[in-house]
Amino acid sequence: MKIKMIGAFCALLSVTVSAPLMAAEYPDRPVNMVIPYGAGGATDISARTIAEPLTKAVGQPLVMVNKKGAGGAIGSVAVQNAKKDGYTLLFARVGSHSVSPAMKATLPYTLEDFRFVGVYEINPVACAVKADSDIKSMADLVSKVKAKPGTVSYSSSGVGSMLHLAGAMVLKEFGIEKPLEAAVHIPKKGGGAAAAAVLKGTATFICTNSSALASFVKNKQLRPIMVTTAKPIVGFDAPTSVDLGKPNLQQLVGWTGVAGPKGMSDEIAKKWGGYLKEATSNEEFVKKMEARGSIIRLMEPQESQDFINGQYKIFRALVDELGMRIKG
Amino acid sequence: MDFLGDAFLQNIMAGFALVANVESIAALGIGVTVGVIAGAIPGMSATMAVALTLPFTFSMTPITGILLLLGVYKGGIFGGSIPAILIKTPGTPASSATVLDGHPMAEKGQAGKALGMALWSSCTADLISNLSLIMFAGWLASFALSFGPPEFFTLILFSLTIIAGVSGGSLLLGFLSAAMGLLLATIGLDLVYGTGRFSFNDTNLMGGLNFIAVLIGLFAIPEILTMVWDPSPKTEKRTKLGDNWVTFKEYKSCFKSIIRGSFIGVFLGSIPGIGAAPSAFLSYSEARRKSPNKENFGKGEIEGVAASEAGNNGVAGATLIPLLALGIPGDVITAIIIGAFMIHGLQPGPLMFVTNGDIIYGLFMGMIISSIFLFFVGSVAIRAFRFVADIPRSLLFPTILILCVYGCYAVNNSIFDVGVMFVIGWIGFVMLRYNIPAAPFLIAFILGPLLEDNFRQAMLMSGSSASILVRGPITWFFWTLTIITVVAIIRAGIKNSKTTAIE
Repeated sequence: MKIKMIGAFCALLSVTVSAPLMAAEYPDRPVNMVIPYGAGGATDISARTIAEPLTKAVGQPLVMVNKKGAGGAIGSVAVQNAKKDGYTLLFARVGSHSVSPAMKATLPYTLEDFRFVGVYEINPVACAVKADSDIKSMADLVSKVKAKPGTVSYSSSGVGSMLHLAGAMVLKEFGIEKPLEAAVHIPKKGGGAAAAAVLKGTATFICTNSSALASFVKNKQLRPIMVTTAKPIVGFDAPTSVDLGKPNLQQLVGWTGVAGPKGMSDEIAKKWGGYLKEATSNEEFVKKMEARGSIIRLMEPQESQDFINGQYKIFRALVDELGMRIKG
Repeated sequence: MDFLGDAFLQNIMAGFALVANVESIAALGIGVTVGVIAGAIPGMSATMAVALTLPFTFSMTPITGILLLLGVYKGGIFGGSIPAILIKTPGTPASSATVLDGHPMAEKGQAGKALGMALWSSCTADLISNLSLIMFAGWLASFALSFGPPEFFTLILFSLTIIAGVSGGSLLLGFLSAAMGLLLATIGLDLVYGTGRFSFNDTNLMGGLNFIAVLIGLFAIPEILTMVWDPSPKTEKRTKLGDNWVTFKEYKSCFKSIIRGSFIGVFLGSIPGIGAAPSAFLSYSEARRKSPNKENFGKGEIEGVAASEAGNNGVAGATLIPLLALGIPGDVITAIIIGAFMIHGLQPGPLMFVTNGDIIYGLFMGMIISSIFLFFVGSVAIRAFRFVADIPRSLLFPTILILCVYGCYAVNNSIFDVGVMFVIGWIGFVMLRYNIPAAPFLIAFILGPLLEDNFRQAMLMSGSSASILVRGPITWFFWTLTIITVVAIIRAGIKNSKTTAIE
């Protein structure tokens, strides 16, 4: 273990030392991959799972670096300010790259500061209530919010997280004009705590990645009332957003992708598109990710950029309409 | 969940069959060894060790992989006590309380005794924690479910009374120290509004101060600065292990505290979101309160070491209660372990007892075996680290400094954290020179945010009505405990000031 750490450290050191020497063929040395969230989280596990096939594709070691804090901002800033030589890349996530930019005015970066080389994972979002709750469907939930404003609450993994926005967006789509006043947002620290809050009765409902809810649903502790994807999710006995006539909610999905700093060359971006293609066609990898409830779908660099910008715009419009933007 | 009867026995046998093979036993052995070594390196916490081990488990069978992770976890929690005792630097946050009496014992030349007691106490607590998991998982899990924000708030409020127990001579200085800890803990983003607090729009500060950086800064750096300040030690600190080994008599005399600490650990471990460090401190302060040698606590009392280590290892088995019975990870480490379950297509929760009962009982068996491994690996580790005690200070301290910088950097790969460590180190140095105790600082730093978050969540739940804070028997229980303790502290304070006045 120690040797491994020292090895990683030496690798880091050698990266800084040899940086000025222009290489013949990219990549000729290890690549730093920044994970902007902590060990054991959804992003971390996704990143470390793809690291294995990705290393083979790249042909150079990938140094996985966790830089957590401030909702993914610290790691993102590290890559934003990194050299554009393609040796420092980021595992970008829905929270750090579409929700946070939409919600946080003080965020030190924008989407423009990054060059996306590919989104490789989509996480469907599901909404759920406690299994013994009297709420059996979205219609029940909405009528309860309308009947007694302020009594229904939803939990999230923190201010500016996807869960925070998701709760508000779902209620808004279902005709609640002012979801922030009609329902109470209870921020917890982390996704696990947010799901537990619904289980304990601290909050009424939660909208989050289906993978975070899968075991609770399977164990009949939570009851799913909607999934946001167009297709049903295996194991979730709930209508889709399309079934319920709210196709806009399809935009509400989680994702993980790889990005470099703005100005990274076309050549490197193209190469990474190829690496990701090779990695995501690895059967073992797909099997592992699907076991966790993810959908593996690789987007080309341009498609990724458009997808993220599109999601950002929808989120931003909602944030502005509801006055959710955090200024201080 | 019916734990008794034929099904229970059958599951135990099936579980035993799963564990009784070379791979599982080897995984446990390797896991505990890796954990002890990683825990013994300052800055390399048990959490990091488990996270780094995770990818290796992907290709193993579920039970082998999870046992490997559990071994690392348990080994790491014990391993942290080695540097806590020998060099006054907790190897993991959980062993912060061990510093309080462990290091003074080492200075008195009783390092071997302290380490031995830490090991015996850890193994006892580990065993009790595992047995509690097996026997009371269902009951404790339903208890944990009734812990919402209001209950949490009252529990943390009560836990803050620990500050009085670890303040040393002066309660006032203890409060001063705690206030500083609380203040620094507020740095970061506001929980409810997401706005910056003392962050000056600096991204690094928005993330708050890194706990490990604060921990190392508070304990290790001041020692090094003291050494730099005065390189010629007037009193050569003896940290030799010596022949001074812990005796069975001493173990027996601490037995009550160990049992108490174990159950505090089991209780706090089964509630998601608290962790091992508060449990160790609570166990320590309870042991001190009940001890006839109250005065000796903080000056090298062996019972203090026993209580702290029982408190933190008692958590290790119990954190699996919410994980297995409810599917809720209790802390960062179990969040990683739950990832390992899912990679193998296992979904922890009530149903898993039915669908994969053999795996659950296999884990139980494996955990019992891990306590035994911990004992042997720990004994070897203590003997190996004997050499640390013999290194001259002029070599040892620079080495510690390098380890601290490297460990602190490795937590989040951040140079900023290293800066935080040194700034806190200077604060700690000033505190040390003016006899301001460091432990209240640390406790406030850990508990302050928990107190605030749960209070505000409770207020959000109730629409700002304070009545939610007394909503049920659990809250009443902790309010009563808090009031009794505070009254006792005030009375002791008055008595103290009277006796000093007479003198």
